[in-house]
This record gives sequence, C-alpha cells and structure tokens, in this order.
Amino acid sequence: MRTTVLRLAWADYRGEARLSACAVLGLAAVLAPLLVLFGLRFGLVATLTERLLEDPRTRELIPIGSGRYDAAWFEALRARPEVAFVVPRTRQIAATADLRAASGPAVTVELLPSAPGDPLLARYGVTPPAAAQEVVLSRTAADKLGLAAGAEVDAAVGRSRAGREEIVRTRLRLTAVLPLEGFDRDAAFVPLDLLLAAEDYRDGHAVPTLGWPGSERPAGERVYPGFRLYARDLDAVEPLRAHLVGLGLEVLTQAEAIANVRALSRNLGIVFAVIAGLGAAGYLASAAASSLAAVARKRRDLSLLRLLGLSTRGLLAFPLAQALFTGAFGSAAAFAFYAAAAAGINALFAASRGPGEYLCRLLPLHFAAALAATLAAVLLAALAGGWRATRIEPSEGWREV
Amino acid sequence: MLAAPVYRLREVTKTRAGGSARFRLRVPRLEIARGERVALVGPSGCGKSTLLDLLALVSAPDAGAAEFAFQPPQTPPANLAALWQLGRADTLAALRGRHLGYVLQTGGLLGFLSVRDNIGLPRALLGLPDDGSVAALAGRLGLERHLEQPPAALSVGERQRVAIARALVHAPSIVVADEPTASLDPVTADTVMRLFLELAAERSVTLVLASHDLALIERCGLRRLPVRVTREADGVLASFGEGE
Repeated sequence: MRTTVLRLAWADYRGEARLSACAVLGLAAVLAPLLVLFGLRFGLVATLTERLLEDPRTRELIPIGSGRYDAAWFEALRARPEVAFVVPRTRQIAATADLRAASGPAVTVELLPSAPGDPLLARYGVTPPAAAQEVVLSRTAADKLGLAAGAEVDAAVGRSRAGREEIVRTRLRLTAVLPLEGFDRDAAFVPLDLLLAAEDYRDGHAVPTLGWPGSERPAGERVYPGFRLYARDLDAVEPLRAHLVGLGLEVLTQAEAIANVRALSRNLGIVFAVIAGLGAAGYLASAAASSLAAVARKRRDLSLLRLLGLSTRGLLAFPLAQALFTGAFGSAAAFAFYAAAAAGINALFAASRGPGEYLCRLLPLHFAAALAATLAAVLLAALAGGWRATRIEPSEGWREV
Repeated sequence: MLAAPVYRLREVTKTRAGGSARFRLRVPRLEIARGERVALVGPSGCGKSTLLDLLALVSAPDAGAAEFAFQPPQTPPANLAALWQLGRADTLAALRGRHLGYVLQTGGLLGFLSVRDNIGLPRALLGLPDDGSVAALAGRLGLERHLEQPPAALSVGERQRVAIARALVHAPSIVVADEPTASLDPVTADTVMRLFLELAAERSVTLVLASHDLALIERCGLRRLPVRVTREADGVLASFGEGE
C-alpha cells in the first residue's frame, strides 16, 4: 500500500513533468542563493579565522613596560595550559649586536631570544637556533649583510667602561633567514644564552664561556624584564591575558583582530538568518499555495483513489511524497547551481586568497543540513495540500462528467 | 440455510437539500442477495444515483436508519449506518477497496497511469500481486494492444472497457455501475454491456447497476427495482424497494 502510493505519486509527478520541473526550479531559485550566501559567510569567516590562526602574532601577548620575572615565575607560566611558548627577554638596551659579514658594512640588529618551539619561526618553516653559535636572521638584516643560510657572521658587542670603548666578538653560523612577513626589522634570533652574555658583558661582567673579559658576575638569581609569549590558540589568548592582568601586568594582544572576525561572523550570521528567513517564509507560502492548488487540480483523481479504497493516510501521503520529490530534485539542482556559483566566485578572488583558502565554501555537513531543512520545509508546506486531500470524499470523482 | 443478503436496508433515508427544493430518498425495505443482478431504472432525477451512492458506500445515509447492513460473502456483517455515523472513513474505504468494484459513467481512469496500471490499480491498492488477471481481463475485453498506452489514447468505448476490467480485477463480490454505457453509442453500448454482464456472471458477482436505458435492462434480464416518485410540500420523495 505504502509503496503503491509512492508509485502513484511518482507516476503523477512524472505525468505532469512540466509543472514538476517548475516546482523544482522554484525551490532551487530560493535555495541556491541561500547556499551561495551561506557559503560566502562560512568561507570568508573560515579564511579570516584560519589566517588569524596561522599568524602566530595573533596569539602573541606582549608585555608593556618591564617587570622583574625570575625563573620560577617563568616555570609557573610555562606550566599553564594556555601557554604554547614563552622565552624570557633581557633588557632591550642590551639586546643589540653589530653584525658583519666577511666583507661589507656592519649592521646593528636587535637580538631576540628564541628556542625550539618558537611559533613565529615555526610558522615559516624555520628551525629555531638550538646551539649557542646559531643565528636566524630577519630578511632585511640578511639582505643588508648580503648573506644566505649557511654563511658565517661576526657578531660584535660593545661597552664603555671607565671611559674606554671595549668590544668583543663571536662567530655565529646563519642557519636560516626568516621571511619578511615574519619580521620586518633588522633582527637576529639567537638562543637566550647569547642575550644573557651580551647583557652581562654590557654590565661590565665577564663571560667565561665566550672568553669575554670583565668583573665576576655577582651571585643571585637572574631576573628578566620581559618575555616573548604565545598562547596555544586564539581561544587561549583572552584567559591568558586575564591571568597576566591578574598578576598586575599590562599586555598587548590582537584581541581586537580576533574580536573583529568574531563580530563579522556574528553579523554575517544575522544577515544570513534574515535573508534565509525571508526566503523560507516566501517559499513556504508559495509552496503551500501550490500544494493546495495541486490538490484542487487532482481532486478528481484523489477522489477516485479514495473510492477505490485508498486510506486517509494514503491520501495524505500522496501530496507529501510529491513534495519530497520536489525537495530532493530542488536540492540537487540548488547544489549544482551553488557549485557553479562558488567555483566562479572562488576563481574571481583567486588572486587574493592563499592556497587552500576559499571565499565561498560549504562542508558536507552543510549540504546535509540544507537538504534536511529543505525536506522539512517542503513537507511542512505540503501539509496544507495533504490536509485538504484527506477531506476529499469518494463521491466527488464518482460522478463527475 | 439461506445465505445472508449482501445488502439489507430498513427505513434508510437520504436527504439532499438543493436550493429551494429538498430531495428525499426513502428505502423502506430492500434486500439484495448474493449473486443477484439489480438494476435501478428510471429517468434522471428519480433518485437512482442517490441510492447507488448509498449502496456504493460513497455517501452517508441520514441518521436514524433502522438497518443498513452490508455483508459480502465470507465476512462478518458491517453496520454501514453506524460506520457513517461514527465517521469511520478508513473502514468504509477498506470495505470499498476489498469488496466492491466500480464502473463509472465516464471511465474514471487515472490519466497518469497506463491502461495496464489503471486496470491493476485495485490490486495494487490492496497490496495483491498480479496473478495474471490484468492480462486475462484485457484479453477478454479486447484491450491487449492498449495495455501500455495512456487512457487518453483510447476511444470512449475502450476506456469504458478498461473501467470494467478494473472493476473486476481484484475479484470483488459486488460491482456497482453507474450508467456504464450512457456515454457510448447504442451499438457499442450493447456490446460493452453484454461483455460486462457476461464477465460479471462468470464471476458470480453481485451487480448493482443504475441505468436509464430500460430496453437494454430488459434485454439483459436484470431485476428491476421499482421506484415511486411523489411530490411533497417541501420537495420530492422517491421511494425504492419493496413494501411501504
């Protein structure tokens, strides 16, 4: 009985192929733009979010001003789950060096502490300096020195003691160059030990490991004025910031950039909901009206089926089954239209997107949800006609001339 | 033991209010036995269609019928008056689908189904497999060539033969026919009617037929149900059946 109703509904649906095609196109005309719109929203937000996620600077927390942080403090911070990477900094004023290649002028660079796991270097596939004599240069510094990875570079640190200019040198091996996107000033990423050596030497102390002369460094725990800190992910930035603020620190984050993407996502979501709501309401009204019209048009046939013993449920199932056909074909057509539109949009913006980035994108889950929502909507609209169909009396078609 | 009649009616009335005049059908007493072939004959407007509707289980009698029993062979009797009163539309639909075959005045075929599927429709609705009766009936009625065609491709006479095949295909015990040959020319009408009666007789079907063609009924030897139409103050009263 149930399959009979399905077969009858399908035969009738095919019999009036033109009207059925109109219903399918009508549905696709509402659904396809919504899919494109949603695809744009999802693709855009996903791309911006991924860019944020990929850019380690959005996960960086920069302390403002200097503090006094000891090793225990860093241990505690490193133990926090929100922390991906932290390395202490020495005083800014002591963290410079003059680099010189075998020939050419000297270039003064910032010394930045790095260590294995440094997200900024990892982002660009650069292995952080591990050994004491290794250095990673920023692109600008490497260009000014005319050096490429593998070269040797001379680093000079100067101090003035008792009115006399003193200078020490050490040889470093350039292991890699960080691209311009990673860092746009003259900088050298070196292990913390070298920064500590430079600081000690500038303070007038000796650095025995490098053979730099000076007074003996007084005993006592070392304190650091700052640090380079990266959160594990975007969501960890805010709690980590709150934690540091709780400790009395002031920190800079990319909270605004993150909040901007979040706000964009939310606002586009609202815009989409409004448009989808209008489209769905209009479609429901028109589909309900055409379902009623269809049942009125098929009154004689339905009444005849009623006469021949079709149950109330069967009468209800007839227009509902046809609505499902429209829903399935309409969704398929809309998916096809969407695929074409998305390909066009993505081609149009191909220049401004990176590899693997799509301006217009939907996941399989989205298609499944769209299909489910569409089938629910067409069924809901067809209930109007279905209800009308169940009221059809067997006597109506019985004697119509 | 005498088999119970298929229909047993006592004081069944049906009122149709149409415009200013009221039409009332009254059946004081009517029994139709198994295998009987009954013709409701009379001019149009005499109430034969109204009675046929009642016997076809498509329209409700007025409340208050003394008895309106329906008992196809090998089934318990159904109280149609009560079923209508209670609005058991699905029970009535099931009874129609299982026990009744219908031949409508103008075929009443589904345009979106082939002739084959139209004939097989009652079996399909009952969930019965095709046991060859579609082909057999089509053969008897000369429809083999048309089985895969849509009804629209057939002549009126052929369509009526399709309707006859459909009315018999699920081996119903009762066939109700409403002016089955009214839309055919006299020669075709005669042929179709004879075929119909022949097939019905072979299957021992109880036949209830409405027709205005007295001569045809006479020739075919059906039992005529007398009707008496009287004018009442507020309309027309038509009385069918035996007794008063």
